[in-house]
Amino acid sequence: MNGNAPSAERPSALDALPGDLMMWVLIVSELAVFGAGLLAFMAVRLTDPAGFAEAQAHLSPLKAGINTIVLVTSGWFAALGLRAVEAGQVGRMRGLLALASVLGVVFLVLKGQEYAALWSAGIGFETHAFFTFHILLTGFHAAHVLAGIVVLALVGALATPQAVETGAAFWHMVDVVWVLLFPVVYLL
Amino acid sequence: MTLTRAWILLVALSALTTLAAAGLGGRWLALAVLPLAWAKAQLILNRYLQLSQAPAIARGFALVLALFMALMLGLALAAGG
Repeated sequence: MNGNAPSAERPSALDALPGDLMMWVLIVSELAVFGAGLLAFMAVRLTDPAGFAEAQAHLSPLKAGINTIVLVTSGWFAALGLRAVEAGQVGRMRGLLALASVLGVVFLVLKGQEYAALWSAGIGFETHAFFTFHILLTGFHAAHVLAGIVVLALVGALATPQAVETGAAFWHMVDVVWVLLFPVVYLL
Repeated sequence: MTLTRAWILLVALSALTTLAAAGLGGRWLALAVLPLAWAKAQLILNRYLQLSQAPAIARGFALVLALFMALMLGLALAAGG
């Protein structure tokens, strides 16, 4: 009669996931979207490797590398912010999330300089397939950075561990996307 | 691993990526920077996002990401590096 009871109570692997399950659904969805974009980029590159290399030479791998360090450092501040709010240190959490947001702004400023340099060189969305992908992928990512800054401000105001964990998870997802995008678009 | 050690490792791997880009080209560059990107993504997932608390799911993420990077590497090598 009670034969089904033990299996009904069996813990799911999902129970061990840190934070909000819906945030993980979002993270997987975003990784899938950017992953598909990067695969499409690499597939189209096969049709014109020389053209892609010539177009890529207009970008600065050094500035993009600096932006990688900027983002992983902002992720560190966001992760420390979560630890702080879990320890009841709301003021410290807000300071750390503010630092993470400032670095997000630094990232966007460097990205804006890159777009401005391309624009002033007469390069746009339709100049070459490389730039179509570059602007789509990095622009969509930059929009997520901007959204992440708003999210960090919101969860900083709410100041609950659950809210900060969810906001920080969004910010780390933006980090993961960038570390995968950077070598593909800027280096290969 | 503490958060600060994870961050130091992420900065070191990022610097290594930029150094590899300065010193390598073609297929050797792809062979160097794509595994480094995988390692950085793993660190962010497991330490910043604390996915290491869910080992079975962390292994799934690691496997899918490794397959994705292998596919990217194959495409990079097919294009000549």
